[in-house]
Amino acid sequence: MLLFVSTAAPPIAQSAVTRWSRDLLFHAAGVLTSNIGLVLWVTGVAVSLSVAITYVGLIIALGTLLACRWFARIERRRAGIVLGAPIPERYPPLQDTRWSTRLHMLIGQPTTWRDFAWTGLAGVIGMTLSSLALALWGLVLGLVTLPAWYWSLPDGAELGIFTIDTLALAFAATGAGLVLVPVVGWMVRGLTVVELSWMRWLLSPRAVAAAEAGDAAGAAVLAAAAKSAPADRRAPDAATTPPLDPPMTLPLSLHVAFSLLVGLVLGILWAATGFGYFWPIWVWQGLALSVALDVVILRAQARRPGPERWLWLHGELSLTIATYLIGIWALSGFGVFWPVFPALGLAVVWAVHAIIVYRDRLPLRAREQALAERVDVLTRTRQGALDVQAAELRRIERDLHDGAQARLVSLTMQLGRAEERVAGQPEVAELLRRAREDAGLAIAELRDLGRGIAPPILADRGLAAAIEALGRRAAIPVTVDADPDQRPLPVVETAAYFVVAEALTNVAKHAGGAAARVRVQRDGDDLVIEIADDGPGGADPDGGGLTGLRHRVEALDGTLTVTSPPGAGTTIKAELPCGP
Amino acid sequence: MRAVIVEDSVLLREGIVALLRENGIDVVAQAEDGPGLERIVSGHKPDVAICDVRLPPTFSDEGLRAAIEARKRHPDLGVLILSQYVEPVYTAELLASGEAGVGYLLKERVGEVRAFIDAVERVADGGTALDREVVAELMRARTAGGADDGALGLLTPREREVLELMAEGRSNTAVARALVVSGGAVEKHVRNIFAKLDLPASDDDHRRVLAVLTFLRAGAG
Repeated sequence: MLLFVSTAAPPIAQSAVTRWSRDLLFHAAGVLTSNIGLVLWVTGVAVSLSVAITYVGLIIALGTLLACRWFARIERRRAGIVLGAPIPERYPPLQDTRWSTRLHMLIGQPTTWRDFAWTGLAGVIGMTLSSLALALWGLVLGLVTLPAWYWSLPDGAELGIFTIDTLALAFAATGAGLVLVPVVGWMVRGLTVVELSWMRWLLSPRAVAAAEAGDAAGAAVLAAAAKSAPADRRAPDAATTPPLDPPMTLPLSLHVAFSLLVGLVLGILWAATGFGYFWPIWVWQGLALSVALDVVILRAQARRPGPERWLWLHGELSLTIATYLIGIWALSGFGVFWPVFPALGLAVVWAVHAIIVYRDRLPLRAREQALAERVDVLTRTRQGALDVQAAELRRIERDLHDGAQARLVSLTMQLGRAEERVAGQPEVAELLRRAREDAGLAIAELRDLGRGIAPPILADRGLAAAIEALGRRAAIPVTVDADPDQRPLPVVETAAYFVVAEALTNVAKHAGGAAARVRVQRDGDDLVIEIADDGPGGADPDGGGLTGLRHRVEALDGTLTVTSPPGAGTTIKAELPCGP
Repeated sequence: MRAVIVEDSVLLREGIVALLRENGIDVVAQAEDGPGLERIVSGHKPDVAICDVRLPPTFSDEGLRAAIEARKRHPDLGVLILSQYVEPVYTAELLASGEAGVGYLLKERVGEVRAFIDAVERVADGGTALDREVVAELMRARTAGGADDGALGLLTPREREVLELMAEGRSNTAVARALVVSGGAVEKHVRNIFAKLDLPASDDDHRRVLAVLTFLRAGAG
């Protein structure tokens, strides 16, 4: 009952009605062909075996095999009713015309035996499935048209526990029939898929079938066949046969076939024991549940890995369980509709799951995410801008050194030389001297400018050496603890240097000659700079120099903290992110 | 006197060469990078090497390192560093390689032609030539370095001036000329300074300069 109802979420290309019509046509034809197949197979085998010792037996065997081949061709076309195109066929040519040789070759071809197998199976599987399909649609037709003929039955129409003997009830049956249309449609779809999966397994060219099953060895066989028999290239590839929906694998179709067999046997048993309470329905439902679970799992396997797959699996399982419970409710005589409670519970759990999976796409989250992305971009671009700026500053400093400063030095030199030559003209010499001194001042100013960008020792020797030099030049005793191998980005290095320089100046100015300790070390992704003194403390964290430092540090996404309790010294701590 | 010059800027190098030649100093070779210094020094055995700090290929302190290295190999070589900045670490390293026959001048000092030529000659002669900025740094370090014994505080402003000029490497005569005082007055200041700083007295200009430098450097970290 539940077979595919719970799994109906197909990527539909055709309308449901078109599909169901095609399925019906497929099964209607199937009832006919499966009868032919059964007769053919039973007769052929029986006659061949009974006269096997004579040539006549061989001839009949040859005829049987060729008839099976003919039957298989018809069946491939029948499959085309649903698939849109017949199942491709490929037979190795039978060149020799001598019947004994042909029989020999036929026997040697696996295709022959698969055709033979399907001819026999069509009589069993095909007939069962197709009859079931027609019966189901017949039931729907009967229910829908009940008002037109219920009166012709003497005791009214017996429908399970109901007896339809009034027009109102008959119309109710019509309604029930209409409701059953999609249910039956999907059930028949399931039967179609089961039968087609058997047909494709047996009737597709072997290599193609193997390739469909993802069998590398089979694909290799196909490739080899294509190479060795170029004339036989007509073999259509797997892509030309449309996929089945729902997906069907051989284990699943075996599962379904086994379930049908058990169901049938139980039905017969029920009939044989005198048509009492229709207990097989409970077993049928159990079998249907197991098949439904099989299908749900297969569908989940076919999906792309990821959280959505689990959400789908969860949803389909919930739906299957809910449908199963509704079935139990119906079979146990309707009554209070208790399945609503577990169904609601399942729905709530699934909804929570869905929210978890799609939380990123909720409108609020989307905004947060957009902001987070924006912050990422801004952080990156700002870092880039700072790096570019630092590099640019160093380039300017170098250009000043090599360009303007060098020219000014050269100018000073020329002026000096000129001065030497006008020793006899004190006024001119004085003018030249003043010009030279001005040039010297310009050089000094450029030098200070360069120092402000980055002191030479920082660029030449690195942060530790530069800080040690700062400590040595400071007007107070300074101990420095800095890792000499530490070479962060120039922009970070420069900021760290100026933090120390400014902090030491502050200590010298305000800490009354107290000693200072400088520590520079890497802590994870941060460069931590700490300048501590033993002075009187009580420093204003927003005081002039400190504010400038804070801006410099914050521009690099760093933090600057000033701890300065009165009477307990001052500690300035800067944390500068400098990447991994 | 034979000099070599190492400077990567052609403009400056040729200017300095012209200046030196005009003043009777024989420039026997030129180079433009650190390895070039060692090459021309061992090739030409000059009295003095004039060398820029920032040189190819690294454009950091390549010239300074090369000069210190050259002094180790050629103890008689005078080394005069020309730089566009005073970096106390560099001057300390240079002086640590021996105070005799070294100099460290800012580049613009080449415009003070007489003083510059004096400096070159002094360094070639085993004396010292330190830029006044370098001396100022030394004095500052001596005062601030923590090892200060307060000795500098005993000096009068005039004595301090004399001390600074001496630290630059100047002879008594040159100090007298710079301060426009008589040789005798300078002599008296020097005696007082040496007494206050407890330095060994000496009649030799070079030795007195070295004593002053040793004193100043002892105070620097």
